Parts: sequence; C-alpha cells; structure tokens
Amino acid sequence: MLNLLTTNQLSRSFHQEQIVQPLDLQLSRGDILGLLGPNGAGKSTIMRMICGDLAPSSGDVEICGFDLLEQPQQAKRNIGYLPERPPLHPDQTVDEFLTDCAYLHGLKRAQIGEARSMAKTHCGLEQSGRRLIRKLSKGYQQRVGLAQAIIHDPQLLILDEPSDGLDPGQIRQLRELIKALAADKAVILSSHILSEIQATCNRVVILQQGKTVYNGDITPTEQTCYRLGLEQNPLESEIAALPAIATAEQLHTDYFLITLEPGYRPNECLEQLLGRGWQVCELSPASRSLEQLFLQATTGGLQ
Amino acid sequence: MSLSLAWIEWRRLMRTPFAWGTLALCLCLLSWQFLGTLESFSGMQTAHRELGLSHHLSLQLYGLAAVLILLITPILTARLFSETFRNGSYALLSSAPLSNLSILTGKFIAVVGYLSMLVLIPLLLCLTLSSGTDLDLGLLLAATLGLLLLSGTFTGIGLYFSALSENPGIAAAASYGMLMLLSLLDQHTQASSFIHWLAWPSHYLDLQLGLVRLSDIAYFLLLTLFFLGLALHRLDRRRRG
Repeated sequence: MLNLLTTNQLSRSFHQEQIVQPLDLQLSRGDILGLLGPNGAGKSTIMRMICGDLAPSSGDVEICGFDLLEQPQQAKRNIGYLPERPPLHPDQTVDEFLTDCAYLHGLKRAQIGEARSMAKTHCGLEQSGRRLIRKLSKGYQQRVGLAQAIIHDPQLLILDEPSDGLDPGQIRQLRELIKALAADKAVILSSHILSEIQATCNRVVILQQGKTVYNGDITPTEQTCYRLGLEQNPLESEIAALPAIATAEQLHTDYFLITLEPGYRPNECLEQLLGRGWQVCELSPASRSLEQLFLQATTGGLQ
Repeated sequence: MSLSLAWIEWRRLMRTPFAWGTLALCLCLLSWQFLGTLESFSGMQTAHRELGLSHHLSLQLYGLAAVLILLITPILTARLFSETFRNGSYALLSSAPLSNLSILTGKFIAVVGYLSMLVLIPLLLCLTLSSGTDLDLGLLLAATLGLLLLSGTFTGIGLYFSALSENPGIAAAASYGMLMLLSLLDQHTQASSFIHWLAWPSHYLDLQLGLVRLSDIAYFLLLTLFFLGLALHRLDRRRRG
C-alpha cells in the first residue's frame, strides 16, 4: 500500500541547536498518529516541516509519493494543515474565507460550492456561513480552521492542537470527525491531552527535547503487560531478576505491572514466582495506559 | 496560481473601508486639483502661457497623484505580510500549493491592481475635457505610464519591508523612510550622479513631460525587481528559519 507520508531522517536545527533529531515516519491510509511531548519537544516544528511551512535542516518528506522539496506543489495539494493558531481572516465571513481557501488549493469554480458545503457539514458550520469570523466563539473559529484544512479533501491531515478551545461536547464531536476522516486519509495530530490521543489515535510518537523516545502503537503488542498481585511485598528489582520477567513496576503496594522476556509464557512466569516462595493472588493481562507510556518514555524508561 | 491569489487579495482589500475611503478621498483631492489647474490656466494671459493645458495637467495633477500614491502604498502593503506573520494566517499560504514567488507575485499584482484604479483617475478627469479642447493624449498616456511604474516600484519597496517585519507599523514606517530617501536623493547637489540617478522624481518628471525614455522605464523596473528580489529572499530565509 502506498505510504501517504514518509519522512526519512527528518531533522531541524536552529542556531546549531538540534530542535528535532532525525525522525522516520511512515503513515498509510487509516493511520491516526498522535504527537506527544512536553512543551518545546518539537511537535509543532515537525508539523511545520511536514506541511512545507518550515524547511528541514536535513532529511526528506514524501507525501503521496511526491517529494516535498522537489515537487512542493504536487505534494502540498495533498496536505490539509490546521496550525496551533487557526489561520483565519477575521474580517471575512465563513463562506468568503472558505471560498478563498478552496481557490488557494487549486479547486475549480464549479467544485467550490460542493466542497464548501461538505467542509461546513463535517465541521458543524451549516448555520454560520454568513457570519463574520471575528464574531464567532473560539470553538467555532477552531471549526472554521478545521474546515479550511479539509475543504480540498487532502490525503494527509495535519492538526496541531485541534481540540484547543473546544468544550467537552465539541471535543467528542471532533474525535468522531477525525476518525471518520481517517477512513480514507492519514491524520497527524498533536495534543497535550493524553486521553484525547488515546481515544483518537492508533499510533503515537513521543518526543522529548526533539528526540523520538517512542514511535509505535499506543498499546505495544510485542510487549504485553501483566498485572501481578502478591501476598508479599518484594522489591521491583527482585521481581525483575526472575528470568521470565523483563521489567517490573510497582503500581500499588500490592500490585506490579510486569512485562515478560521474549519467548516466555505466563505459566512459566507463574512457576518462577511460586518457586521464589511468593504467594500469587493475581496475574492478569493489563494494557499499558498512554500516561504510563508517556511517563516511562519521557523519564527514560522506554529508550 | 499567482493570479488566483492576486484575485483573492484584491477582493479582500476591496472589502475594507480603507480601500474605498482612500479611493474616494483621492478622487476628491484630484478633482480639486484638476479644477484648480483649469482655473489658473484659464485665468492666465495667452502671452504668459509657456506650456499647454496638457502639460499643466500632467505636471500638477499627476504630481499630486504621485504624492498620494507615495502616502497610500506603505499602508496598503504593510499588512500584506507583516500582519499575516503576526496573526498566523501566513500558514494558509505557506501550506497551500504556492511557491514563495507565486505568493509574492500574487500580492504584488493585487496592490498594483488596486493602485491602477487610482492611476486612472487623473486620466479620466483629463478625458472629460477632450470634447472641448485638444489634449495631447500621448503626453497624458506617458504620465499615466509613469504613475503606473511608480506604483509598481512603491509596491515592491512596501512588500519588502512588510516581509521584513512582523509589525505592520514598523513595516509602514520603514517603507515611508525608504520612499522619502528616494524622493530626496536628488536634492543634494554635491552627490554623485549615481545617487541622483537613484531618486525617482527626475525619472518621473521625464514621463510627466511626455518623454518616454527606455532609461526611465528601466529605472522603475529595475528598482521594482530589486526590492521584489529582496522580498523573495526574505521569504525564503523565513522558511529556512
């Protein structure tokens, strides 16, 4: 299947400081990638490089098979971008603004009416076409920003903090919209809200000071976690010392989150635990939450 | 795509009260000057008339039009890049399938398109006399060409300073500074001929007098391209960070 986005060793330096360290990404149709990281981790910089707003210091970006540096116009036709601050013209009405955006993305006059209606319907702006943008609430302005990003039906949608300024109901609608759009597109979104990423995305890149510390599924399948309950209260290091156990993390006084070494099965782990003389009261599969993943990654546990 | 952007920018400009207010004000001022020129010309004794009516109109009406364009252009151009950098709407253009050259050309055509309406006002005023007197149409067309070239040059300068700053006020002030400098360079009698050549009034005066010389046209075109080139370089630098 054709990758809608491929980045190859994409990096960015500013005044000899590397803001984004080499990043490799491949996104296909249906992928919703979440960019996570503390403030200043390089999320917006990566998005700006992918949409062509900022040139990378090194590396390549390929969108739908078109190199962003060699064939920028063909590549950009397939991008819809919503920056952190929606790029709006407050003195225009919603319809005027969306019409201009459609022209900018090369839509023909005959296509514009339908494209505008589609974008407005998706973003819940059917009743707001004649309203001045500056008179809209922040949430509605965010919707207009999203509408301009999808009006030309791009293959790759890049959304920087799209839920900013939306109320919980609107956030839920946005989540549904992104999932619906991702059926035939790839979406990249950044958010500070971990639950937002968890609820919307199927992949995540966690960044720490420009470095990718995790790039994969939200719940890694290759390392299934188990919730382990013991009658005794041994140290994490004692549990991790068992041959079958790769990592052990104490969640609660009596519970641990463990991962198994490759090739070991839970029954072998159980035998080794019992062999140490510990009384096991629980050993059940547990999905690692994004918060744990994020904290582990940004504090160095998932290098 | 440049033409699409030019159309969008021109339409956006024409939706502002500033554009219509400025056109109305310029029409009033130029009409006032037109009537004043006619009055002083008709009051002059024939023996004292060293120049014809067309020359009088060309010098006075087109002279005022040049000053008006000098005053208006920095305000028009300052917001075109500075304001979009500041409010983040430049991302709309930088992520659209447009090169920096297309963006710059589109904005340039939009402003020159607007100023062309202003450029036509003196010509239309003069043409109202054509049924009653013999006007030197060639002279008036040469002056109109001069005014159009001047508009292009001032727009190029304004766009460069707009691309340079994120503050529209600073961009406008810097444009005024440069335009004033280029207006006054030929006042200094001891300056080198190159410095004199850089001043626009002498080149414009030739066209006002009906002298369509390639050197004057080249001056305006070169200056316009020079500042547009600088603006393009600035946009590329901005993208490279």
